Amino acid sequence: MAEKWIYWLKEVGQEDNNVVGKKCANLGELIKAGFHVPPGFALGVEAYSRFMKETEATDILLKFLETFHADPNNVADTLKFEEASNAMRAMVESVRMPPDMEKTIKEYYAEMCRIAGCENIYVAARSAGPVSHPGQYETYLNVSGADDVVFNVIRVWSSTFNTRSIIARARLGLPLHYDPIGVAVLTMVDAKAAGVMFTVNPVNGDESKVAIEGSFGYGEAVVSGNVTPDRYLVDKITMEIDEKIISDKGSEFIYNPETKEMEYVELAPDQRKRQCLEDKEVLELTRLAKKVEAHFRCPQDIEWSISRSLPFPESIFLVQARPESVWGKKKKESVLGKKSGMELLFERATTPIKVKI
Amino acid sequence: MAEAKKFPYASEVVLPPELAGWEEMYPPQRLFSKDRQAWENKHFWFQDKIHAPEPMYPLDDIFQEAWQIALSQFTTRVFCIPPAQGVAQRMLGCYMYITPVEPPPPEVIGEKAERFGKRVFYVFENYEKLWNKWLEKFQALGREMESLKIPKEFDKYVPDSEVFPAPRGYTQAYELIEAFNTIISQIFKAWQYHFEYLNLAYLAYLMFVDTARKLFPGIKESTIGKMVAGAEVSMFRPEEELCRLSRLAIGQRPVAEILKKDIPADKKIEELKAIDAGRIWLEEIERIKNPWFFVSCGSGWYHYEGSWTNKMDVPFSYMQSYVQRLEKGETIERSLTAISEERNRLVSEYKALIKTDDDRKSFEDAYKVVRTIYRYAEDHLFWVEHWLHTIWFEKIREFGDLLVKYNVLKKTDDIFLFNRFEVPMLLEDLATAWALGEGAPTRGVFWMEKAAKREKILDAARKWMAVPGLGVPPEEVSEPFTVMLWGITTDKVAEWLKGSEVESKDVTEIKGFASSAGVAEGPARVLKLLEDVVQLKQGEIMVAPCTNPSWAPVFTKIKAAVTDIGGLTSHAAIVSREYGLPSVTGTGIATSVIKTGDIIKVDGSTGTVVIVKRA
Repeated sequence: MAEKWIYWLKEVGQEDNNVVGKKCANLGELIKAGFHVPPGFALGVEAYSRFMKETEATDILLKFLETFHADPNNVADTLKFEEASNAMRAMVESVRMPPDMEKTIKEYYAEMCRIAGCENIYVAARSAGPVSHPGQYETYLNVSGADDVVFNVIRVWSSTFNTRSIIARARLGLPLHYDPIGVAVLTMVDAKAAGVMFTVNPVNGDESKVAIEGSFGYGEAVVSGNVTPDRYLVDKITMEIDEKIISDKGSEFIYNPETKEMEYVELAPDQRKRQCLEDKEVLELTRLAKKVEAHFRCPQDIEWSISRSLPFPESIFLVQARPESVWGKKKKESVLGKKSGMELLFERATTPIKVKI
Repeated sequence: MAEAKKFPYASEVVLPPELAGWEEMYPPQRLFSKDRQAWENKHFWFQDKIHAPEPMYPLDDIFQEAWQIALSQFTTRVFCIPPAQGVAQRMLGCYMYITPVEPPPPEVIGEKAERFGKRVFYVFENYEKLWNKWLEKFQALGREMESLKIPKEFDKYVPDSEVFPAPRGYTQAYELIEAFNTIISQIFKAWQYHFEYLNLAYLAYLMFVDTARKLFPGIKESTIGKMVAGAEVSMFRPEEELCRLSRLAIGQRPVAEILKKDIPADKKIEELKAIDAGRIWLEEIERIKNPWFFVSCGSGWYHYEGSWTNKMDVPFSYMQSYVQRLEKGETIERSLTAISEERNRLVSEYKALIKTDDDRKSFEDAYKVVRTIYRYAEDHLFWVEHWLHTIWFEKIREFGDLLVKYNVLKKTDDIFLFNRFEVPMLLEDLATAWALGEGAPTRGVFWMEKAAKREKILDAARKWMAVPGLGVPPEEVSEPFTVMLWGITTDKVAEWLKGSEVESKDVTEIKGFASSAGVAEGPARVLKLLEDVVQLKQGEIMVAPCTNPSWAPVFTKIKAAVTDIGGLTSHAAIVSREYGLPSVTGTGIATSVIKTGDIIKVDGSTGTVVIVKRA
């Protein structure tokens, strides 16, 4: 029997990391744990394999690569990789998907539309590697219509042949023609604001805080670093907003229905320095962050999005959760040492307090 | 290299000419002096806005004198906090400046460390027992002061009872002189007791702040404040009594009706006396009045603030609003359970975030230490600054009354215009005139002129903007009080250095301590004196010089609190946290910059107050 290659997100969990890729597995896990995640489905790495094998894609790529020679450690060869990438991507994207796969994907999409109660809903096609390579593969936003969904799934697959990916594989001595990843097809959240949050203060490792960064529009603006986000620091225990840094956010990343493209649009002068989140949203995000951290039992790096059309708090979606990479990995060493209260008192009594003038 | 930033030295400060003659009000050892200039210039002095925000009346200065000795000695000679020395005081232009004395030589630090260990550990191990002993001896001292006999008038001839069966051998002249000597000794002793455990309480607090900050670098001091604060401390008892009395009144309709009337307290008392239920209710006040109505209407540091016992309008206006609120079905009491549950939740949830067993153990132990002793910081305040000071002011006024009766002074309170070394001169003058027989004059005219002149100087001092600091700020401070109580921090000194050249009407934002988190916006009500509290409306933001237990009921009416004076453990900070009100304390200038009716926004999380719209 053929291996299963497509799943509803709610069918997968953390244990399916290697089957559907990290992002899909984590989103599935979040749904199982009861968090609000945009509905969608996942294409497993098996789908990538089937596509590449059952079409002629692999053969075409291998043939092309026979004549390709470049040194990934030589900067001058970067251009060669770029040309190769363009060629390889064009090859993959011109291949037709096996009809049964195309049919199934379209059925899943139709079911998403049915549940959402609207035709041709907007979705995002996001890459989901079994090992996380943030920012290495591509994501396509605001995809609508069954044919476009199928095409953009192929585009995500083909992004495994983008320049930075093939250089990375060449450096590691991995095959250039093959790098199976999963794809998440998620309902788009019509984001009025979005961003990331950490369940630890990234500045000093203080685990009693949740640090939230957000900006207007879609989250890519924050993740990519293209805008300076607002920053909120919230105490997990007192649930007080300790710090609020409202930045000049410049522009927002939004969908242009005319060009059907995502674009940065400059914010009106009175909007640029406006707080992108209401306090109640900041606190609700903090509550969610605490729950996610408790569920995964380690500090988390979470992407969130707030819908402009749904009422609070259903408006808040989690679109990604992964272990926080800096402080989460640090070995936990004692900061105080094993001391009695009297020893600590003695220490305080003998240490002067510095006052910088 | 940039020259170290500094404030003027004391000798460089130019005082307004109207202050001429201010020095004679204070004893010479309390003034900056040429002979000690080298030592004085080595230290950084700052104006003590906590204990002496207003120009100092010479007799009120006695508390300052007394704490200079008491606070310092417990650090240097009793508990021997190793690198710390005492806090020295000087008067300048009727304001008090203080400095943490520079650290002692290394060998002294070593000697002190040994003793510190032994003595301090003992206190923590036995605190419960020691506190009971403290309270017992302190109450005994207060009762002694209360029972001190001060002649109401001089007998023309001593009564027979003092001659037969054997002459007593001394008269009212001696009694008067002795009574004043005695009360001076008593107030000094009370202030010795005041610091018996306070230095250690503050040290323990600083230790806990350090410990918590190492584990949670971003933990806020207001959160730490909530973790260590006690709920069942003497300081809150007066307010609890008002709640209880209000509930009693509700049970007796006619009493409640009288309390609700918009008439002065003495009129209410008169009406209450006319009915049975009222008399019974008044008896209940009499029963608890001492000690629980012995609450200063200010900080307890100035004679003119008054206490509930002599300004009954204050407690009666609170009860008026309590009765009204009870009738609406509201709860007026603080929920002690809620407070202690919240405290336990904070502590256990932070503890749960600690990653290693060693750290958790150390944190637990640090918390235990601070909780053992911290309530002293809150308990002593009621007994010393409120209860005993109320007794003191009343007793001193008895001396004042006598001096007025015999034309040595014009008004009772003029006695506060003479320092503790001078008052004996006035008393001796009076006793001498009596002893000399008929027709012997006192120097009443001289004393009265002096009093009038001093009143003018103090008025001028009130208008003078005293410099906040003198000399070169230090790089480190070891003295626990300086950090904890006066909140001498980098930011504070930097702000002072900026100076106060800005006109108050141009100020749109002021900074203080983030004492109780939250944000509130609304109309300001500037309350310079507690009597003004009658004008306070529900939902206003209180702006006050500082608050104390007698202000507690105010907090049930307001949206947020802002004070000029006080750190994170000041009364306003503690009570705001308990009521969940945003509060910014220690702004230094709020009452002079903000006017009643201004719309202000208080951010108790960041310690800022923004003037949104001028009235």
